[in-house]
Amino acid sequence: MAQHPQQSIATASPHPPLQLTVELFGVPRLLAGSRVIAATGANLAGLAADLVRRAPSLAGRVLDAESGWPLDGYSFVVDEQFTRDRALPLQAGTTVILVASAAGG
Amino acid sequence: MTARTGIGGVHERLLRIHLHDGSSERWDEPVPPEHYRDVIGGIGLASLLLLQICPPGADPLGPENPLIFATSPFAGTGITTASKIAVAARSPQTGMIGDSLSSSYLALALKRTGHDAIAITGQADHWSVMVVDDGAIHLRPAAALLGLSPGETANRLRAELGAAFRVAAIGPAGEQGVRYAAIANDGRLAGRTGGGAMMGAKRLKAIAVRGSALPAAADPRAVAALARDLAARSLGPATAKYREIGTVANVSFFNRMGLLPTQNFQGGQFDGAESISGETLRLEHYTGKHACAACTVGCEHHYRTTDGGVETSARMEYETLFALGSLCGVSDPNVVLRASALCDDLGMDAISAGGSVAWAMECRERGVDLGVADEEVPRWGDGAALLRMLRQIGAREGLGDLLADGARAAAARVGQGSDAWAMHVKGLELPGYDPRKLPTLALGLAVAARGACHNRSSAYEVDLSDQLDADADARARATAAAAAEDQAALLDSLTLCKFLRHALGDVHEESAALHRAVTGLLTTADDLHAAGARINAVKKAFNLAQGWTRALDTLPPRVLQPDSDGAHIDPVWLNRQIDAYYHVRGWDQEGRPADLEVRKR
Repeated sequence: MAQHPQQSIATASPHPPLQLTVELFGVPRLLAGSRVIAATGANLAGLAADLVRRAPSLAGRVLDAESGWPLDGYSFVVDEQFTRDRALPLQAGTTVILVASAAGG
Repeated sequence: MTARTGIGGVHERLLRIHLHDGSSERWDEPVPPEHYRDVIGGIGLASLLLLQICPPGADPLGPENPLIFATSPFAGTGITTASKIAVAARSPQTGMIGDSLSSSYLALALKRTGHDAIAITGQADHWSVMVVDDGAIHLRPAAALLGLSPGETANRLRAELGAAFRVAAIGPAGEQGVRYAAIANDGRLAGRTGGGAMMGAKRLKAIAVRGSALPAAADPRAVAALARDLAARSLGPATAKYREIGTVANVSFFNRMGLLPTQNFQGGQFDGAESISGETLRLEHYTGKHACAACTVGCEHHYRTTDGGVETSARMEYETLFALGSLCGVSDPNVVLRASALCDDLGMDAISAGGSVAWAMECRERGVDLGVADEEVPRWGDGAALLRMLRQIGAREGLGDLLADGARAAAARVGQGSDAWAMHVKGLELPGYDPRKLPTLALGLAVAARGACHNRSSAYEVDLSDQLDADADARARATAAAAAEDQAALLDSLTLCKFLRHALGDVHEESAALHRAVTGLLTTADDLHAAGARINAVKKAFNLAQGWTRALDTLPPRVLQPDSDGAHIDPVWLNRQIDAYYHVRGWDQEGRPADLEVRKR
């Protein structure tokens, strides 16, 4: 799975927020009690912040309670690529997965 | 604890045992101190001892092939997850190095005998149990134990000998010489490469071990402090997956990513994945979890059947779940649980068992004559047939006799082009990762010394992360694959569980600190990087002595040809990666290490 180009962390994005469906696997799915959660953001950091508001059961166990960013041990997979790029812009049709970063055995 | 005289955490002693004529001869040998620096312990020590003891060309099922058990400096120190024992022999399944790792109390019992390793050669003239009671050895008849599962065997022996004994045992598969038979202890398995067949060939049904002398660490206070810190971190989010759901969580995610091997690697997505997913098992079948000795993670999750039949409980891992589930097209979780329990009771590796059955299922699909009536050959998704086949393999009956030698050997006997879908590397069936979409793992599986093994390569982690760009050049990918392989070798030799890897800030720095505290050696992170590479060179040296050639470093034909979506590993690309891997390792273009001095030590 290829790496997205590294970008500087952006707190603001020129792109308008849009709603995406975040797919949950493993512990996140069990904690949230749902396979998917709709969340809004212009970039991945924004999406994470909205996600933790909409799924408070993930706060502190999967996502940072303040920023919503995945804790060590969890990762976003965007368009089938693992990424830690908070500034990654999101577009309509982008797929977002939240899963344990230890994705193998 | 015994007083420390040399290197901390080890005895510097090897127990040699030779079986013959219904008795055994035993002697002690010193383990050179440099071994603990060069290859650490565990898999590294077992591999080096194997290289030194096993003659080139030894029959894997013959008396000359040594069966080696080795512990590590960390075992018994209280360092979380470190109670592991390595098993090594020339593999009866692959003909190459056969090395496996198992966990829990057996490692502690063996280490308390005053030895870091045991090497068994020869062959008993009747089925026996070897009792190792501190330094004393004796054989006792095992006829009454034949046919029992490893668990039943251990229970009986511990009831007779005492609960302080820990038992390594084989099941019916090992007795019958199934080439992927396992050695089981404390509910865990040294599963891959057929150590159970080796033990059966020596007519050892079980080895019961009790001891009383753990070696002292060089700096017990430092070890305790470091161990406490690591134990605390082992309970954080980095290991939550393993603690809370286990590796079975991979099924649904891998299926989503198209990585879940389905119907003998014909595809990467399985229509029935949801019903056998880790999440479904957790919600509908869960009974609880267990931890190995001295482990704070507790990754072993157990599940029960719910179909109204005789209730069966089984521990379940991702590899078992894929091999007995999607790989065979089986979507009934109750069948997969029964199949998993059956593999444990028979004492055989579920990956190779599932891979061999899946090969036979594809033979049926393609109309290949397997020499038995069509109705005896299982179809995709036929759960009852899967269970029947596993029993037949364990007993070497009917079609099971063919499949008991693994997919490579079965395809060689049957012919008719069936090697095209025998999914193995060096005779070892592929684990549950579709290499067509994981290029670094594809390279790792091709070059791994013991064959297609995710645990020895670990390169899937490069692909399932943001470590490497998809169009990375060959040198970058080869470097990443070698580094993953070296780290795996290091962890297997320290006997730290790989499930801790994300809880460690820097695996080599932290491991070096632990190693210094335990052994008293002035170990650095660089030393451990070098040790990981050296351990892989030792394995390669063993394979070279057994006839390895570059032609064995490849992938199954199916992986090298485009599937229906066009996904494949291009053979020219793969060869370029292998060239680069050899170059990164400092090996020549035929894959031979330039310096094999380690053999002479």
